[in-house]
Parts: sequence; C-alpha cells; structure tokens
Amino acid sequence: MRGGVVPPALLFLALGLALAFTPRRAWAPSLLALLATLGAVAFVRVPQTRLEGVFFACWVSVIITAASVHLGRGLKTWAAVALSINAAVWASAVVSLSGTRLDLLKALTCVLVLLPAARVVSSYASTPVKVVSSWVIAVAILAATLQLLPVTPGYLPDHLE
Amino acid sequence: MAYSDNGFAARGSRSAWALAAGLGSLLPIPAAAHMGTGLPGGFESGFIHPFSGLDHLLAMVSVGLWGAFLGRPLIYALPVIFPAMMVAGAIMGMFVMSLPPVEIGIALSVLVLGVCIALSVRAPVWAACLVVAIFAVFHGYAHGKELPSAADPIAYSVGFVLATGLLHASGICLGLLNDLHRGIVVTRSMGGIIALLGVWFLYRAIGT
Repeated sequence: MRGGVVPPALLFLALGLALAFTPRRAWAPSLLALLATLGAVAFVRVPQTRLEGVFFACWVSVIITAASVHLGRGLKTWAAVALSINAAVWASAVVSLSGTRLDLLKALTCVLVLLPAARVVSSYASTPVKVVSSWVIAVAILAATLQLLPVTPGYLPDHLE
Repeated sequence: MAYSDNGFAARGSRSAWALAAGLGSLLPIPAAAHMGTGLPGGFESGFIHPFSGLDHLLAMVSVGLWGAFLGRPLIYALPVIFPAMMVAGAIMGMFVMSLPPVEIGIALSVLVLGVCIALSVRAPVWAACLVVAIFAVFHGYAHGKELPSAADPIAYSVGFVLATGLLHASGICLGLLNDLHRGIVVTRSMGGIIALLGVWFLYRAIGT
C-alpha cells in the first residue's frame, strides 16, 4: 500500500509549513485557492495508467513546497497561491487513484500546522520549522526513489503471491 | 560559575525536564541487533526501528548531544544533515550498492560521537557536518535495505524519519544539562559511557 491518507497529508503538511513563511495577507487567497481547486478537481477521475506519474508528481510537489521555506524572503502571495493550487491538484489526483474522499478530508487537516508554525516563525525561531520541513523532504525523496527501484516494493504482489 | 538562587532554580527546572525528556528516549530497553520489518512494515515499524537497536539509538541521541555542545549553527544543522544523508544512505541500501561493512560503520559512529562528547571536541562546522554526514549514510543504509519490503514504505519512512528526529531532539534536551553547575561533567560522562559502548559494538561487529 502506498496511497491513502499519507501522501496528501505530507503534501498539505509541506504547504502549511511553507505558508507559515508568507505574510498573513497571503493566507486567505492561498487557502481559498486550495479549497476551490479541491472542490473543482476532487470529482475528476484519473486513469489508472497515470498512477506512477501522479505519485511521482505528488512527491516532487512535496519536495518543492517544503523546500520553499528556505527562500530568503519567504514566498510571495502569487507563489503561495500557485503552491496551494498545485497541492490541491496532486493531492486529489493521488486520492482519486488510491484512496477515498475521507482520506482527502483527513489529510486536509494537516494544513492547520500553519498556525503553530507561523507562531514559531514569528517568534524569530524559524529553524525548528525548517528542520521539520527537511524531514518532510527526506520522506518524499525516499518515497519518490522507491518508484525507481529495480526490486518489487512491498505494496505490490511479488512472484510468491 | 556563580548562579543567583532564582536563576539556578529556573535552570535546574529546565534541565530536569530536559533530563527527563532525554532519558525517556532510552526507556525502551532495546536489543543491540535491530529487527527487520517484513511485509507488515508501516508507520509503527518505521517508528520503532531506530529504537530497536541500542547502537542506532545511541548514535542518534549523540548527534543531538554533540550539537548541543557545539551550539549554533550546528545544534540545528546536525539534525538536518543527519536525516538528509540518511536518505542518501537509504537510497544506496535500496539499490543494494556496496558499502564498507555497515555494522562496523554504525559501531564507529557510536564510538566517535561518544568520544567527541566526552572530550567536548569543538570541531569546526565543516568537520562536524562531514563526520555526521558520513555516519548518517551507514545508518540510512541499514534502514534502506529493509524499506522496500515494507508493506507501506511511505508510512514506514515517515515513522523512521520522525523517530530519528525525536532522538536528536532528546540529545539536544540532554545537552541543556550543560547549563547546570557541573552539568557538563554529567553530559561528558554520558559521552564516555557511549564511547565505551561503541568499543563494545565495534568489538562485536569485527568479531562477527
């Protein structure tokens, strides 16, 4: 198993951490864009043939979104909105292929990490948030690499099954 | 160094919490060998994995503890570098690339980090990063070899990266003891004990 709640949760977690480094005025348009895009694409069926590509895009999105916390001046509003739309698209695509809408709702709560993270960042202690985002990047790199392995991953049936 | 009563009490309280948090990480009384996950591997397996071998556990706590000795920027840089390089090692493990004996590398990491803490080695930033990065590759390799067989490798990855980070944080908490009068003696003694255990791990790794 590799779908379910974890991939979209990590994507929304990365988004929440990234938004913590944006000005507060960027939060409302970003979150609105996230919800609107989710509402628009949540019912789109993605063909199973795109499964590998969708998962890979999801992991690349996690890496880019989490890495944005290291930008010197944080994200501009348009960039935050773009990341939100991107997160909504790939999270709903992953859930469409390998999960349920309830998984998407559960995962969406991870974006609320924005609130404690922003509080930490505003108290001039942004490093713990950057450390956590580096852990998210580490997980995403591992998950993306797993798709490139020459062995059968545990979530697929092998010759014994 | 002289402390005012209030300052000493505050530092004492903070250090008591730090000690409790740090020692808490050592509670699971782990076995030295670390267990494979098998197909049921998920978040729990990944989370338990770093706790399932005393060698892994001590190395990760030591990274945080040494970082606390070295102060900024390494107190934050080392817990970032370790998981990043652990991923590099895990990828090498997944692709079954050859590496010098991993168990010896892990034992050496415990020994070297323990010595660095015991002697309070003030390594330059680049040297500390290099030492931790090299050892992280060995630890990651051991995890990475088992990762593909996990039934839910993503949750497994989340579990082991999170546990690794928490062990670093426990080490940093233990390092807060340095603020206490004579606290540094305690932390350096811990380093000495870790180094001695490292010698034991190395003896066993070479012997097998």
